[in-house]
Amino acid sequence: MRAEFRAGERVRVRAVDPAGHTRVPRYVRGHVGRIVECQGRWPLADECAAGVAEPRVEPVYTVAFAAGDLWGEGGHEVTVDLWESYIERAGKDGA
Amino acid sequence: MSRVNDVGGQGGFGALEIEADEPPFHADWEARVYALNSVLVRNGVYRLDEFRDAVERMPPRAYLAASYYERWLYAIETLLAGRGPAGEG
Amino acid sequence: MSGEHTSLPVAARVRRLEERLIGAGVVAQEQLDEALGAMLKGASPVNGARIVARAWSDAGFRERLLADANAALPEVGLSMAGGIQEQRLKVVENTATTHHVLVCTLCSCYPIGLLGPSPSWYKSEAYRARVVREPRAVLAEFGLELPESTTITVWDSSAESRYLVLPRRPAGTAGRSEAELAALVTREGLIGTAAV
Repeated sequence: MRAEFRAGERVRVRAVDPAGHTRVPRYVRGHVGRIVECQGRWPLADECAAGVAEPRVEPVYTVAFAAGDLWGEGGHEVTVDLWESYIERAGKDGA
Repeated sequence: MSRVNDVGGQGGFGALEIEADEPPFHADWEARVYALNSVLVRNGVYRLDEFRDAVERMPPRAYLAASYYERWLYAIETLLAGRGPAGEG
Repeated sequence: MSGEHTSLPVAARVRRLEERLIGAGVVAQEQLDEALGAMLKGASPVNGARIVARAWSDAGFRERLLADANAALPEVGLSMAGGIQEQRLKVVENTATTHHVLVCTLCSCYPIGLLGPSPSWYKSEAYRARVVREPRAVLAEFGLELPESTTITVWDSSAESRYLVLPRRPAGTAGRSEAELAALVTREGLIGTAAV
């Protein structure tokens, strides 16, 4: 039942473009954000939508992105809720 | 392939239209579409994510032309098509 | 999808669909009536206003609400079980320096079982597209002008959590009852497009 990422860690959203249903908005794909918290575990929406009988159950994280990173401007933050397989650990320099 | 519903950050949709004292539903049929979808999910006819997927698969021109609950109706009809007697028609 | 659907008036399409599903035993009329009744009677922004008023009045409840909203809701006689399926509720608190605003960019996720259907603008492409990009401009269209020093966080509900904003308690409301406080809270305040 362990969660891979902890609050404060930097993660990168995988740069995906799946053919089917997914819950990764386009505007965060490839971007680096900060884990705010782990919300718990839920069946992966992509597999639920595809009719997989026993969809993977994964941790879901609240991930915060700086508007400047997403849009090149703006002082606000945007948080997006992402299943664990949507993200990977970012390097120390954010790479 | 990104779908038409994935609009975060897109420009061109214009100013907001804010309706004062908006009722929960604007027509009886909207409320009935809401109820129908709730019961179909609860009865296990389809999953909520399958419903979202069906909304998203609407052709972009039709999606943007449809009202919110017209999209729901389209998705329900799409999901029921080909699922036995209830789906015919 | 056959072409005939779109040639019928939409209310007739819905009635035909209901009749077909009831006839096939897929849904029962009583189930439909019950689902609609539960929504219209049980879910309302008034519930959100009551939660906010209690949080303003009771520091212990406020803490429990922010820590685990689902566990705290029964204290005010509410729960998150009223929707299609029970969902996690996360309450985010506005402060003197931070303001929260909610959106679902991919569809229209909202604590519907608790608050009832969301307003049409919340479901619109214009709101969903713009608020993550230019929240200050969007809030200004609602008449909400925040100081430049206020940090804005936009919460995009893209998974299984639903959100509720806990607005700041207005000045000059000391000594007011919970019912009086609840009357100050608007649906827009619970989404973050109004101050309260």
